[in-house]
Amino acid sequence: MSTTSAISQLRAHKEASKDELIRHFFSLPNESADVKAITLLGFDSMEINAVLTLQDQEDSFAGRLYLFPQYLCFASLDRKSVKFTVPLYTIRRVERLKSRAGIFALSLVVWHGMSIIVQLTSLRHTADLFCNQLREALKVQLQLGRMKTLKVFVKTLYSEVIIPPSSTQADKEREDGSLIKLEDGGDDNATASTEEYLGGLGLTFKFPGDAKKLREASKVKLWAEYFRSHGRHLTLLRYPKCTRLVQVGLPNRLRGELWETLSGSIYLRFANPGLYVRILKENEGKSTMSTEEIEKDLNRSLPEYSAYQSEKGIDTLRRVLTAYSWKNPEVGYCQAMNILVAAILIYMSEEQAFWLLEVLCDRLVPGYYSPSMYGTLLDQRVFEALVQRCLPIIHDHFQEVDVQLSVASLPWFLSLFINSMPMIFAFRVVDCFFAMGPKVLFQVGLAILKINGEKLLQIQDDGGFIHLMREYFASLGDSAHPYSNDPRVRAITNFQELLLISFREFSIITDELIASERRRFRSQIISEIEAFSKRAAVRNLKTMGRFTKDRTGLIYDVLFKAVCDAPQPSLEHESLDANGRPETRIGLQTFKVFLSNVATWARDETIVSNGFQERYDRRVADHDLINRLFYFWDTQDRGTLTFQDLVTGLDGVMFNDLMANIEWFFTLHDKDKDGSITKDEVLQLSESLLFIFRYEIGDGYLASVGRFLTNAFEFGDALLPHGDDEKVPEVAPNQPYLTLATFRMVVLADEVLESFFETDFSASFKLEPIPDDQPATGGFLGDLISNIVTEDSKNIFNKLADGIGKTMGKHKVNYRPSIGKTVPLQEPKMRESIVSPSMRKASSSSNVSQLSASTSTTALGDSASLSPELSTLSLNPAVTSPAYSFPLVQAVTAAIMERTTFAIDEAKDEEGEEDEEDVDLEDGLLEEVDAFLEAHDSGLTGAEAEAAKDLLHAPPMK
Amino acid sequence: MADANDASGSADKHVQVKLVLLGEAAVGKSSVVMRFVNNEFQANKEPTIGAAFLTQKCRLEDRVLRYEIWDTAGQERFHSLAPMYYRNAQAAVVVYDVTKAASLEKAKSWVKELQRQANPNIVIALAGNKVDLVTPAPAAETSFAESEDEPDDATATPGEISASAGSHGPESLRQVPKDEAQAYATEAGLLFFETSAKTGEGVVEIFTEIAKKIPIEYILSSTRGAAGRNGAGGARGTAAGGDVNLDGAGKKAGDACNC
Ligand SMILES: Nc1nc2c(ncn2[C@@H]2O[C@H](COP(=O)(O)OP(=O)(O)OP(=O)(O)O)[C@@H](O)[C@H]2O)c(=O)[nH]1
Ligand SMILES: [Mg+2]
Repeated sequence: MSTTSAISQLRAHKEASKDELIRHFFSLPNESADVKAITLLGFDSMEINAVLTLQDQEDSFAGRLYLFPQYLCFASLDRKSVKFTVPLYTIRRVERLKSRAGIFALSLVVWHGMSIIVQLTSLRHTADLFCNQLREALKVQLQLGRMKTLKVFVKTLYSEVIIPPSSTQADKEREDGSLIKLEDGGDDNATASTEEYLGGLGLTFKFPGDAKKLREASKVKLWAEYFRSHGRHLTLLRYPKCTRLVQVGLPNRLRGELWETLSGSIYLRFANPGLYVRILKENEGKSTMSTEEIEKDLNRSLPEYSAYQSEKGIDTLRRVLTAYSWKNPEVGYCQAMNILVAAILIYMSEEQAFWLLEVLCDRLVPGYYSPSMYGTLLDQRVFEALVQRCLPIIHDHFQEVDVQLSVASLPWFLSLFINSMPMIFAFRVVDCFFAMGPKVLFQVGLAILKINGEKLLQIQDDGGFIHLMREYFASLGDSAHPYSNDPRVRAITNFQELLLISFREFSIITDELIASERRRFRSQIISEIEAFSKRAAVRNLKTMGRFTKDRTGLIYDVLFKAVCDAPQPSLEHESLDANGRPETRIGLQTFKVFLSNVATWARDETIVSNGFQERYDRRVADHDLINRLFYFWDTQDRGTLTFQDLVTGLDGVMFNDLMANIEWFFTLHDKDKDGSITKDEVLQLSESLLFIFRYEIGDGYLASVGRFLTNAFEFGDALLPHGDDEKVPEVAPNQPYLTLATFRMVVLADEVLESFFETDFSASFKLEPIPDDQPATGGFLGDLISNIVTEDSKNIFNKLADGIGKTMGKHKVNYRPSIGKTVPLQEPKMRESIVSPSMRKASSSSNVSQLSASTSTTALGDSASLSPELSTLSLNPAVTSPAYSFPLVQAVTAAIMERTTFAIDEAKDEEGEEDEEDVDLEDGLLEEVDAFLEAHDSGLTGAEAEAAKDLLHAPPMK
Repeated sequence: MADANDASGSADKHVQVKLVLLGEAAVGKSSVVMRFVNNEFQANKEPTIGAAFLTQKCRLEDRVLRYEIWDTAGQERFHSLAPMYYRNAQAAVVVYDVTKAASLEKAKSWVKELQRQANPNIVIALAGNKVDLVTPAPAAETSFAESEDEPDDATATPGEISASAGSHGPESLRQVPKDEAQAYATEAGLLFFETSAKTGEGVVEIFTEIAKKIPIEYILSSTRGAAGRNGAGGARGTAAGGDVNLDGAGKKAGDACNC
């Protein structure tokens, strides 16, 4: 279950912009990480057509080159053959190359000496601009000192250990004149000892699986070769071979580093040195719901792995999980994260795992582990839709026998298969996932179903489905073709077949497709979560008072809307109830919004007519009465209200009869709850009444408040103990002044107030289904507005219509009254004397009330007619108490003048090219690699390729 | 009575019972199921992700019941997934931990939800688990899981152990008095047991009592035809046809959204 605020955030979700999508594509951190560089540079990205060539590599690739404030990225035209993300701080030198006329080419030399040649094929002007921007961006990196950090950073990486230092080349190049010159990092390779690089628990506790069977040594060798020619970690260029090496499974010692490289979490680790340790330190000893939940699960995370049977392993796991819960309190901790983190910690250091987790939760599988788990639910819906599209027969069968796909598939996604497949296989799926993104989960999921298609058509229920899947996962290491005569075919395991089918047959499942499917189902999932939360919230109420379930549901809806509309940081809405359930708590600001949608007097509602339309504009009102009500309902003095508080609070007022209402209103103003109110509180109470009556038509209500005050003071004073001197004694601010009984008498002495407390007050609380839009009635543009969907465009439309209306002289704004009854102005004498003559002699205010009506009328102007009582309000010395100012009471007269009469009806696949050189490698490892791929070439042909290759040997321009 | 293998000869009397386990995280739901299904106990069981599915046959008089057990995840945020598992369930075991008072509160809210949201005829049992922690150990080795794994002892153990429940020493760990839980269960109309997945106490009893309380005749009469034809799968096969379930077709729409 999730709280209203969590859901309101979901609602507020914005789809990623085009820019963000590109950043995602290149695994870049969010733009906010670049802010410093952006402000120094004054641009956020630029792109240009380019051709990429690499030393010692046959092929050139045409594509697009992107410059971000801190990164240079490239993607081949097909967006999959080749791509790279090179942080600018790794670039040591940039040179214009001298070559055939008309070709504009740059050589980018990175810190370890590799040179990347890009030929800028856009118009000359654009190319020049691009170069300038690049130069500026590189300068900023120098300024920020990033290039210095690099030297220390690379020592944390295992690839530096397996690559013999190639300092000769780097040294030579340093001698050349360079655009940007930096201390040489290359020489330090030799000192990067085996001790320094970061690694996971596997280094101490052994890696899962049989290293020999996994062909560790060959894999490391292949990667070392790849690193030498295509860069490593921060500078890794992703050529087709890279993907293939990923698909055959990463070697244990390189796995952690490659995960962070391929997922892009390495950029975050680079950019935030020490943050992980700092977070832990700053929050040391603190305990939250998350830390408690983490503690419960520490011994329950891959318990069969030896590291997690030791203090060391458990502590490591605890630190990463808690650090993340501090970093992202909105996600906190979700079961499944423990298994995931326990798994990645076998291959990565704590800090690496921390940043990988960040990328995972933030970008790769957003919302999977959030309190509402909307991401998980959403992807299950997407998966189901993809099954329907790609495997319709299976889908139909499942429908027919009423089997839900997600009973099996949800844990696949949530634990990235770690909880479903034997570990060594799950890790290979995870390898592909970090390299190729979330689509991999879908591709593998579909392939599993496809492979088991025939058996799936036999199953009759959820249980059968789960059993079948469990059996299949247990057989992943078995031969896929046990009866084949060809030993090579026999050697193919079920798992290899699974990956083959995943990437070959489901290559149509692209990131774009996943993104658009997620968009398609998003709002549906959110409404389902909303409906579920509502049901749970209503169910979990201790009492609904006298409300029905439906009416309680309406209160929930209003609360939900208030949380969505309130301009407040969301976390203030969250806390845990006695059972550890997250619950919604609202503060005063949100309460005002809430109340404005419940009580007619808690909003300023105007009816605007401009000739085209008539609409209600609702604004949240602000008054002491509302604050008072908030604290009145906050019976636990927590400064916040829960759904239960609101239900109980409303129950306490909406079902009241006359006497109950009088008492309720009295108690509301009796701050110390001692059964009587002070003189100031009498004034506050009148203020409240005036506030409620502020938009009523005619002056009946105002007059009755006037009478109320007069009578209350008369009575109150009369009851005060006083001496012989006939003078009104001084009243201390906190001295009890009016008891409930007296208050009741004063109210009942006035017909208007009596009828107000009898029915109108309770009725001013209205629980109505929340209209999504205010109804637009009449006018020739009426239909049009109902077609305008967004709040923004509606506002624009309204403004426009108002503007036109004004010029046509048809624009009119009227306040809508809260009660909407016309109350006759009462004759002053009718029930004047509730105070007996004997009491009256003590009263001072009685003299003032004799003032003539005509005096006040002239003082107020001629448009309003006032009762004598009202005029006493501003004249009565008791009212103008020096300690308090009561703006409403004073403004009453002015308000009357402005009032206009009111009369309105109740409205209502991975591909790549062959790689001959490697075929002779031991174990035929690359045969497996190649098995994944069909020949593919998005490289250049003919003359273009020639020209590109020439660049490799082109001397720098002078 | 837990009998996984001997189902022969009574295929026509097979009754499938869908049962769901609910309760706060780490109260021992999965452990209780493991005890019931495999008669074993594993310390440090991994938390359940989503839900786990297991089956166990169970003989009751002349008839064999086949439990289809959905063991759900306990963490609060998995709550929204629960309806997926308890829909159409005929029985539920709501588990709490006798050493954690808050877990009983959570159990109560599950009961409330089931009573409003699930199949109206659902049989609910409340299980106060980890009772071994508040029971003086009869022998030192009880603290080791492995020593408990003797086959075929499920029917034998429970009575003796609960009889020895003392009130000194480990009782101090107890946060939920048995009387209190019993009183609540009676009031809410639930079966009630204190259990230990570790020692096996009370586990089989729960499933036996549920079996007794389930309206088996009714299930049988509504599914016999299909069950005779293709065994275990049959009962649901018929249900999927759209008309049959324990509560009859008319109530199906109602339990989807009951508030
Ligand atoms: N002493 C004792 N420990 C138990 C008992 N039952 C479970 N445990 C332990 O409690 C922990 C949680 O058990 P699980 O069975 O995984 O709990 P769960 O309710 O399935 O938890 P989730 O899947 O997270 O909802 C494990 O470490 C078990 O070993 C019991 O009867 N006695
Ligand atoms: Mg479990």
